[in-house]
Amino acid sequence: MQLKGEMSMLNVLHIQDNDVSEICSKLEQKRDEAPQFFLQSPIVLDGSELSGNALEFDFSALKTGLLDLGFIPIGVRNFPPAANNIIRESGWAIMRDQQQTPRTAENKIETTEKSEPATPETVEEASQTKDNKPENQANTAVESNRSDIRSAMTVDRPVRSGQQVYAANADMTVLAPTSAGSEIMADGSIHIYGALRGRVLAGARGNESARIYCQSLQAELIAIAGRYQLLDESDTTLKGKPAMIRLEGEKIVIEAL
Amino acid sequence: MSKVIVVTSGKGGVGKTTSSAAFAAGLASKGYKTAVIDFDVGLRNLDLIMGVERRVVYDFVNVINGESTLKQALIKDKRVDNLYILPASQTRDKDALNKEGVESVINELKADGFDYIVCDSPAGIEKGAFMALYFADEAIVVTNPEVSSVRDSDRILGILQSRSKVAEEGGTVKEHLLITRYSPERVEGGDMLSKEDIQEILSIPLIGVIPESGTVLQASNSGNPVIMDKESKAGQAYMDVVSRFLGENIPLRFVEAEEKKGFFKKLFG
Repeated sequence: MQLKGEMSMLNVLHIQDNDVSEICSKLEQKRDEAPQFFLQSPIVLDGSELSGNALEFDFSALKTGLLDLGFIPIGVRNFPPAANNIIRESGWAIMRDQQQTPRTAENKIETTEKSEPATPETVEEASQTKDNKPENQANTAVESNRSDIRSAMTVDRPVRSGQQVYAANADMTVLAPTSAGSEIMADGSIHIYGALRGRVLAGARGNESARIYCQSLQAELIAIAGRYQLLDESDTTLKGKPAMIRLEGEKIVIEAL
Repeated sequence: MSKVIVVTSGKGGVGKTTSSAAFAAGLASKGYKTAVIDFDVGLRNLDLIMGVERRVVYDFVNVINGESTLKQALIKDKRVDNLYILPASQTRDKDALNKEGVESVINELKADGFDYIVCDSPAGIEKGAFMALYFADEAIVVTNPEVSSVRDSDRILGILQSRSKVAEEGGTVKEHLLITRYSPERVEGGDMLSKEDIQEILSIPLIGVIPESGTVLQASNSGNPVIMDKESKAGQAYMDVVSRFLGENIPLRFVEAEEKKGFFKKLFG
């Protein structure tokens, strides 16, 4: 038996009122827009924007509705503790509360219709070959986790194709080049004292102030707090040069270092 | 102190078996007791390349399963003293390998006084390749100057540094880059990756460059490792690799495009 850590993109359903049938019918529309993406996708129910009374919310009905639509209800969060008993009785799991990013204030799952390939939905440990086929992309609500950046993780050997390194709650510093086909991820910023060739994902849990620094920008895919860009699709003049990458609003900005 | 050296690549067909045969023969010719083991169970080639295919009675899997002793399976080379070959099974497949079995064979070879144990890995990153690299102290990563080979070599390097026994115990497998099928003319023409390009991508020390040579095919056909062909450039390059491995500092040969000779130069030398 092995207990492995995985990072997955979750769909978070933010509700504002108690109208379960309305919620379900909107979800049905959403699902039909991109069935391949939404069917069998995990849903977390977030009550931080609920203006109605949580104690009057019909959790059972929503759970049944979600299952009927082909979603997988995972759990709820950010509901008042007074509702815990009702929630448990309805069969929903109660997850840890998390703070919001302001941009996700909507009563539906957010999708952005672009034609670019999706970011991978699950990120598994090392050896398995990954399936990187483009799917319908959804910019799911990546909640910001504003926990403190405690320490920096340092990697002093080249990160090879197929390897992944992840600095949880920390910045990442790599003292060697990274290869095409590798993945560097951190909840904080990422500094690469060498060529950056693979995929790089900073602010992995939603920290929008995370940045990426490298000595030679040759990355395949760049992401900060869930917003991503393929280097080939950007018009930067800094390919192959020292660069600093940050997030400005929703846009990935690449500047000279 | 015995050393286990894996000859691996990730990519298939780049010259692992050719290089294993040449390297092992080279070490043995310098006086070191050397065994070369074929890990490509089911698709064995090492015995063919070394010209001992008609002398195979027992194989690696027989030894692991206790169906024969190591001494019964090892084939002593008739041309080079100190050289022994442990062939793979042709009828079984890589599922017949397991860590304990492989470990016990390697330990027995070490106890038998072998200085070098060369493991000829199959292509890929699954069980056969994994078994070949697991017990390695050093690795020769064979790479063609070609993009998919370089990418696959990078992958196998990652696996070496994370999943070998040495890595599990906190150490590092010593890596050597061996570029094979190199054509300096095509590199200068801009068609082929240069050794500098490859080194930049893989970031490991270069142990040698073997030029593309027709003598390699002749060597396979005749069952004599190409290093035994003293006239062959590839053979000479392999000899340089062995010397460098043993600590000598030898400049790279056969990496510059030959000067185009004018008509009269060709006539009069």
